[in-house]
Amino acid sequence: MSSVSDTLPITETTTPGDASELAEVVRSCHETETAIYPIGGGTSLGYGLSAKREGIGLSLAQLASVVDYPARDMTITVGSGITMRALAEILAAERQRLPIDVPGASQATLGGVVATNFNGPRRYGQGTVRDHVIGIHAVDGRGLSFKGGGRVVKNVAGYDFCKLLTGSLGTLGVITEVTLKLKPIPDRFAIVFCSPTDLNQADRLLAALVNSETTPCAVELLVGPTWTADKQFTDLSSSGSSLFLAVAVEGTEPEVEWMTKQLGDEWRSEGVSSHQIIEGHAADELFGSMTEFPSSGESPLVLRASIAPSGITRFIEAVQSLDANCSVQSHAGNGIVIARLSEFPSAGLAKTLVGNLQAVAASAHGNVVVLSNPGGSEMTHQSVWGAVDAPFELMSSVKREFDPKNILNPDRFVYVS
Amino acid sequence: MSIAVQTSVIDQLRRIVGTDGVLSANSDLLVYECDGFVIEKNSPDVVVFPRTTEDVARIVKVCNEAGVTFLPRGAGTSLAGGCLPVGGGVMIVLTRMKEIVEINLRDRYAIVEPGVVNVWLTNRLKGTGYHYAPDPSSQGACTIGGNVATNSGGPHTLKYGVTVNHVLGVEAVLADGRVVQIGGPAEESPGLDLVGAIVGSEGTLAVVTKVWVRLTRNPQGYRTMLGIFESCDDATNAISEIIGAGIVPAALEMMDQGILTAVEAAFKFGFPLDAEAILLIEADGLEAGLNHQQEQIIELCKKCGAREVRIAADDKERMKLWKCRKQAFGAIGRLSPSYCTQDGVVPRTKLPHILKRIIEIGKKYNIRIVNVFHAGDGNIHPILLFDERNLKQTEDVLKASGEILDECLACGGSVTGEHGIGVEKIEFMNKMFSADDLAAMSNLRGAFNPKNNLSPRKMLPTAGACGLEQKHPGRRAAM
Repeated sequence: MSSVSDTLPITETTTPGDASELAEVVRSCHETETAIYPIGGGTSLGYGLSAKREGIGLSLAQLASVVDYPARDMTITVGSGITMRALAEILAAERQRLPIDVPGASQATLGGVVATNFNGPRRYGQGTVRDHVIGIHAVDGRGLSFKGGGRVVKNVAGYDFCKLLTGSLGTLGVITEVTLKLKPIPDRFAIVFCSPTDLNQADRLLAALVNSETTPCAVELLVGPTWTADKQFTDLSSSGSSLFLAVAVEGTEPEVEWMTKQLGDEWRSEGVSSHQIIEGHAADELFGSMTEFPSSGESPLVLRASIAPSGITRFIEAVQSLDANCSVQSHAGNGIVIARLSEFPSAGLAKTLVGNLQAVAASAHGNVVVLSNPGGSEMTHQSVWGAVDAPFELMSSVKREFDPKNILNPDRFVYVS
Repeated sequence: MSIAVQTSVIDQLRRIVGTDGVLSANSDLLVYECDGFVIEKNSPDVVVFPRTTEDVARIVKVCNEAGVTFLPRGAGTSLAGGCLPVGGGVMIVLTRMKEIVEINLRDRYAIVEPGVVNVWLTNRLKGTGYHYAPDPSSQGACTIGGNVATNSGGPHTLKYGVTVNHVLGVEAVLADGRVVQIGGPAEESPGLDLVGAIVGSEGTLAVVTKVWVRLTRNPQGYRTMLGIFESCDDATNAISEIIGAGIVPAALEMMDQGILTAVEAAFKFGFPLDAEAILLIEADGLEAGLNHQQEQIIELCKKCGAREVRIAADDKERMKLWKCRKQAFGAIGRLSPSYCTQDGVVPRTKLPHILKRIIEIGKKYNIRIVNVFHAGDGNIHPILLFDERNLKQTEDVLKASGEILDECLACGGSVTGEHGIGVEKIEFMNKMFSADDLAAMSNLRGAFNPKNNLSPRKMLPTAGACGLEQKHPGRRAAM
């Protein structure tokens, strides 16, 4: 992870003590048209287009306290600067959780996760960030504090700012407080693991999972050196294949017991010669590696595709034909592919993405975005955000309403004028 | 709309959708003067029935050129006046756009036109092992376009989430006639979550012409239970205990003695009429876990004083129980000439408190109030019984409704869990949100609907717009 000042053109970083101080900072920046770069844990600073305008860093570190935790209502209201680890520890004391898997949880903040709409493997069974945010407070580009939603799990009063701000990269408002809907921590967790012989078999197994009697919480297809260099994975694979399918299940004891057995039976009938069931500490470790993948180690280029799930293996093949040594994690049940390339594509970013991978993704009804490109070359709007037919103009109209002077995280997101 | 404009607009609309696609005679327009919220009525100037997205775009452009307002309508089951044509204008009724365009089980989505009735999709999916999860009680009549507009719920949203959790994308005609597709079969698309903003926007941001919905795997099994309680207090405590224990049933509904009496008279299920409240609890999921979950639920109910917990013997009995629940509103006519359903939300642990307050408020105004609601979500639906011919009683019903909603806010809740703001609850927006919150909402509307010619005077209180004065609450349809 590079430092904040390496990544962002900031002259200073200010750390407001509370939301009203923060609003005051934004108001004065609005007056002077100074750019503001909101900073949580600094784990996703490379996401988006390069920032060009000099401005200030706005740290949310002091907005990290629990405002209200009525555990029996299964909701919590917290400052956005709380780290995901600290939040998880508070919730675990009540046997509850926010089932969003995030790498670097001891640094990554809730506000950052909401702003980037970051979702890990459990999105298959537990949903995504947007399904869990039920209330939100933010400060817009004029310095006005506003909120949406509330503290109850069902609520349709007014426009849904919880959805609008989730994934907005801090460009409509600096998120200061979030209310979450929580889930109970299940009794037991296990991973059922196999090494498909090739992508064709993987594709058949993924198609079969659509009609499986089981209800997995994660369906992960893993390919490439990151995984084959990890003893945890190679020890589990009898075939020496570099392709792994890991399906996580959770629930009560009898549910997990039944699902692990059932999945094994289903796979056998699909021609899988052997599979492993991993539980306890080993399962947690294995799942931890999958959670950390998007930001583990250095990669000159990390991409994320979101496509219809049936297009997964075709997309992986396309990435492999560009870079045979790339490492891929696919949240395959959800049609997400994260590819960490081993080298920067020799054909250049524009040609690789616009001319190639974006078209492959589009043929599966989806898109590709750049998650990180530390070298920063060729970071054009179309290569980073793709999807030229997306309603970027409409999004830009929304942006102008919330941040008329374009001071919140300027030039980095999808806006077009 | 002046006569001259009206004639030329009607002519243009007829050229788009044909003569049989336009209604303009006063007698025809009366049908569209209100939806399920009947307190305020106002006829549109014209009703038009497009068949395609292109029709809608052309209609919207005609409205823009003529400077007339317009609004969408589905089946008109809104309980908050979401389809009320405030100030008249052109009403775009989407019920002829009723095709299920695609069902894709491998990628777990369906594409439907907005006029598809909710239950049609469920019926079409029978035998596939998949279903569309949002199941509002009006699902036999309401359209998916309308569900998108109001972000509809339903009994099973406790476990599965409301409409917004099941919409992957929309095609929509913007207020200026541009057509956009936002989202689609892929779960994520770059940029702002405008799908999330449009769902629940009550037709004020865009006219939705196509919807990509997520399909959900059917559960392997169900356990449907009926907890019978001597007191409402015990029943609400049981709800709190079940949720607090970390159990998330698929549905958790409460009916009190008042509504049970009417439901029993209508459907003859065999409900115990001496019980003060019953809980209808459904657990679903893997067979391997269901018996255990059922035992836990029964134990918690008994711990809270349940006299008995009955178990639905088979699927037939289960379906009958759900029929009683979903059609409970149809039975209310047996209790009083008129009724008014409220829709509020409280944190689930505040349910015992809010039910006590509802009883007190009923006593204060001498209004009989019965309850049938989505208890697991804390989403209450007190039904106030009265006779609309009695003016004093009618005024009291409005006052009592207001006090109940104020109490929901005082508990940290909301004035609507699933019916929407519409025109009915505009005056509560100022109580729930600050001026800056409302300004931010107005900003969002400004980006989509800058001339405010699409569904004007809905959801947000506007300076200068004389609030609709509610004179009499009326009969309401099912929720």
